Order: sequence, then structure tokens, then C-alpha cells
Amino acid sequence: MTPNPSSRAAEPNADQQRAARREVFQYAVRRFGVYLFTLWAAITVAFFIFRLVPGDPMNILLGNLTRAEGRQRDAAEQEVIIARYRQIFGVDDPLPLQYLNYLRKAFLGGLDLGPSFVEYPAPTRDLVFRRMPWTIGIFTTSVLLAWFIGTGLGALIGWLQRSQLSKLAVVISTLLQITPVYLVALGLIIYVGYTWRILPAGGPYARHLQPEWTWEFISSLLTHAILPMLSNIIVIGAGFTLGMRALMISVLGEDYLTFARAKGLSPFTVLKDYAFRNALIPQVTALAIIVGATLNGTFIIEVLFQLPGLGTLFVQAMGLRDFNTMQAVVLFSIFAVLTLTLIVDLALPLLDPRIRRLA
Amino acid sequence: MTALLEIRGLSAGLQGRRSVTQVVSEVDLDVEAGEILGVVGESGCGKSTLATAIMRLLTPPQVLQSGSINLRLRDGKSVDLLALSDTALRQLRWRHFSYIPQGSMNSLNPVLRVGRQMMDTLIQHGLSSDEALARSLEALELVNLEPKLLESYPHELSGGMRQRVIIAAAVSLQPALIVADELTTALDVVTQRQILQELAGIRDELGATIILITHDMGVVAQIADRVAVMYAGKIAELGTVNDIFEAPRHPYSQGLIGSIPRESGQRVEGLPGEAPSPWNYPAGCRFHPRCPKIFEPCSEQAPLLLAQEPDRWTSCHLYDAEVAADA
Repeated sequence: MTPNPSSRAAEPNADQQRAARREVFQYAVRRFGVYLFTLWAAITVAFFIFRLVPGDPMNILLGNLTRAEGRQRDAAEQEVIIARYRQIFGVDDPLPLQYLNYLRKAFLGGLDLGPSFVEYPAPTRDLVFRRMPWTIGIFTTSVLLAWFIGTGLGALIGWLQRSQLSKLAVVISTLLQITPVYLVALGLIIYVGYTWRILPAGGPYARHLQPEWTWEFISSLLTHAILPMLSNIIVIGAGFTLGMRALMISVLGEDYLTFARAKGLSPFTVLKDYAFRNALIPQVTALAIIVGATLNGTFIIEVLFQLPGLGTLFVQAMGLRDFNTMQAVVLFSIFAVLTLTLIVDLALPLLDPRIRRLA
Repeated sequence: MTALLEIRGLSAGLQGRRSVTQVVSEVDLDVEAGEILGVVGESGCGKSTLATAIMRLLTPPQVLQSGSINLRLRDGKSVDLLALSDTALRQLRWRHFSYIPQGSMNSLNPVLRVGRQMMDTLIQHGLSSDEALARSLEALELVNLEPKLLESYPHELSGGMRQRVIIAAAVSLQPALIVADELTTALDVVTQRQILQELAGIRDELGATIILITHDMGVVAQIADRVAVMYAGKIAELGTVNDIFEAPRHPYSQGLIGSIPRESGQRVEGLPGEAPSPWNYPAGCRFHPRCPKIFEPCSEQAPLLLAQEPDRWTSCHLYDAEVAADA
């Protein structure tokens, strides 16, 4: 402690400010490096793993062709066709060369991920782009809604931890959280969709409509999105509620909460500035973690609700051993998850002054 | 002259599944205006529970069982802190009585700047933000901190600085009473000494009354005017700091004082046994299993805290004329 009369003005030192900005910048750069590395690693793993799945897509493709034409070709003809297919798909090269070609085309060739087997000759990229809005729309919206609802609800029942209502809420959330998302989805489809006929439970929009900017189409789109999103929100939101409640309760035991009460602050200020602000930091991190863990749940939901998203595409591709498409779906999902995580991580220093320093 | 704070029959405990375990039992204590009262005792003797009960900050499973705490306000009126509504109590907090909690290191909100945490309280108590800033700066000066600290986050401060910020916050509305719980426990001796001096200075400058809860006899000897020795949830002895240190009467106080190292080469006498926990407070005098001067009534009858002289109270059958006469 050396009281320094010259620096008594309450302005932070300019050097310190610059240093702090540099630290934040370095944190962002480092975090972005991790992001790129993870993306590359995921692409690589996806590339090799799908080629190890038993079953040759060429045979399956040939089988489809045979069924479509309704006649059996002789062995020689078959081999010519398969050889032609193999050439088109570039699977005759040695695996490392295929891998390098894949990376080159993907990053330098304008995201050329090869032709799809599912809808040959449509490029995989177009297929994925066409399906992606469904997945991103349902998934992002429902996870974010679940997070906001769960965080608010969890904060409230953590704050009122000793009330009966709060205890009941914990029991309900626990039950919902351990329920698999597909059970919730099936329950909603059966009861809300078919038994009570409150909301549509299948397809992206009413069958007789065409995608266009009319109120009829948009409202149909939205009502069809309610149940799929609700399935996600119920399960994920229950998890976020329990998480936030636990965080609140542990923050409520902190010394600074006792001190805040001792100061005579209003309960609302104590809740908002002291309890909630602190519990929010790990809760935001939880959002980043949950984003990755719940994407596969969304894939199942798409299949159950017959939505033309990446999940249904992936299931189709799996049936055909269409590794180009499977790879592309994985790549885009990982890209989406990593990007969301990156955004969350970059937002953390805004919430927690300690990270600004430690980063 | 009436006391600033009158504690009568204060009992508090821990709520168990079926019953309440009493931690603090029937404490009567008067705190005079302007004094520094040290409350000393071993860990687990109920000092902190007493402090939290005075602040009415007990949180479950801690529960208040009975008693009253009358605080004399500036206008001369007296209020029972335990009978007030939460809202009414909130108005009195910080203006009339403030708190320096145990664990001051962690008592600042990590995500808010120090200035915001000092000023939000002042604004809550009706000051304008300019007044709040001025008051905060004054308070920081009292504890020798620089004004620019208001811009800092708690993690940027050292332990001693954080402790000073807490003290500054606690005195910023010039309360009549400050309850300081284990003020210096986590600090090195040099910082301890500085902070104690600052606290004594604050008492002189603001005329505040301070209840200093500590297990450190040295701290009490340095700055307290009177001392209350607590044992197993009760006050064993109460007297001026000189009386207690020079001529302790209660066998527990004698043991406590005897265990302070004084001169080099002198052997320190410890107390045999260990302090009972609230779950098995002994019947009769709670100190009797460890007492070297135990006699007949001790294991059956609990002694009362009686005044032998003005300002000299002891809770021991040895000093109770009636009991001593019977035995």
C-alpha cells in the first residue's frame, strides 16, 4: 500500500487499459485457433470413419438401379457400371490421396464436397444447404428458448429454494430431464397431434401449400414447428432449469450474498446484481456444452416429425452408405456447434471480469 | 446512561430434522455507546452465530429461538431488531448498524466493480449518486485506500485491500454500531496491526461502537475496552480488558489467558480436553468436565451470569455467594 497523491483521480491508467485490450484480443485469437483446429480434426475423423462402415455404396447404388429398371444385368455389365461409378466418386485413389483431394476441393473448390449418392448427380453441398435451414431453425431456436426459459425458471426456484412450489418444480424438472427426447416427441405426436388434434405433428408445413411469402404458408410453417421445438424445449429446458437452480443455490451460500443482505439492499437488487449475475457465468458455459450434446436429439426429432432437415438426410444417406453426404452433414453440424460455442466463449469475458484477466 | 445495544435472552440454534440444537443459549449482553467490545472464545463456541443473530442474518438451518435485541437509534428511540419487519430492518441496516463479515475476502461480488458495490448500498439508502461517490471516497480515505480503487474488480485487490474495502463500506454511512466478525483472521500480522489501528481510528473519529468477534486474544488485548469470554454458547465472563487479562475469574478465562505465551522460556499452560459441540453440551455448568476447580453443584446446576462488581460479570458457582454458601 503506497498512497500515491498524483494518481488520485479515479481514472484507470491508459497503459493498463491497453494491456487489458491486448489480453482480450489474444484470448479471441487463441480461441479462434482452437476453433479451426477442432474443425479440421472433426473433418478428418468424419472422413475416415464413414469409409470404415461396412457395405459398399456402389453395390447399393447398383441395386437401386436394377430395381428401377426392373431387369437384371449380367456380371460384366455390372462391373463396368460399378467401375464407372467408382471413377465418378473418386474412390479408386489410395485413401490418403482421396483425403487430400477432399480437403482441397472442400476448402479451395468452393465447398465442393463431392456428388451425393442419395440424389446423384446433385452435389452434396446443395443437398446440405437445402436442408440446413430446417435444422438450424428448429435447433437454434429451441435451444435458445430452452436456455432462456430454463435460466429464468431455475433462477427463480433456486431463489425460492425453500418454498413448496419450488420443490415441486425440482421434481418435475428432474423427471423431464431424464426422459429421452424421442419419448417426449412421441408423446406429443400421439396426444397433441393425433388424439386431441390440437397441433399438426408431421411434415414441415401443410401438404397442399407451396413455399411462398404468404401468411397462410408462414403460419402453417410456424404451427408445424411448435411440436418439434416443444419436444426439445421441454427436455433441454428442464436440464437448464436444474442447472441454474443448483448454481443459484450455491451462489446464495456465498459470503458476498450475506454481505449484500447485510448492506440492506433490496431483495430484487440482491437477486439481480449479486446472485443472478454470478450464477449466469457457468450457466452460459453450460449453453456451449449442451449445444453439442443436443444436436443429435434434434436429428431424431426431425425424423419423427418428418422434417426435411439434416437429420433425415443423414438417415437416408446412412441407408445408402453415402459417405459423401454423411460427411457433409457431420461437417456442417460440427461447424454449427463449434460456431455457437465460439460465440459463447467470446461472450464470456463480457460477463466475467476475471476471465478478461486470466485469458 | 442506557446501553446502545441490549441483548436479552438470545438463543439461536441449528434446525435439525426434528429438533433444534441450541448453539447460543440465553445470552444477555449490554454494549455501551462508543466502546469496543471483544467477544472471544474457541472455534464453535457460538461467537459467529451470536454476531449473525445480532445482524439478523441467520440463514437456515440456523434459527433464532428467542430473545430480543434492542438498539438505541439516533433519535433516542429503541427498536427490537428481532421484532422488526424485513422492510423496516432494511432501512436501519448500514445507517444504524453495519457488519464486517467473517470471510471478508469473499464478501465482495466478483463481477461488480468495487465502486458500484459501495455506492449501490448508499443509493439504496437514499443518497444521490454524487453523494454516494463522495461518501465512498471519504470512506476509502479512512482506511488509507486510493480513490482509483473504485474502478477495480475485487480480484484485482490483495487480501488486505479487500478487507479495507469491506471496512470502508461498513463505515460509509457512519453507523452507530459495527459488528466485525473475525476481522483480521486471514491477514498477516503487519496488515492485522494496520487494520486494527484504522478500526480504532474509525471508532475515535466517528464515535462508532464496535463488537469485535475473534478467537485471537492478542487482537482483543490491543484494541478492546471490554471483553466477553464465550464458552459453549454462553458468556462465561464479562469485564474490562484489564480485569480479564490481569485477573481472570472464570476458570475458563483463566485457562484461556494462561495459554497466551508471554515471555520466552515460560511454559504455556493449555486447557485440558476440548470444547463441547452444540450436540453434546454438558448439563449443569457447560465447562465443568474441563474445569480444574469443579465442586458439587457444577455438574447439576447451570451457573448464572452475575455481577460481582460494577462491570464485572462471571458465570461461575465459585463467585455465586448463595451457591458457595450451600456447598
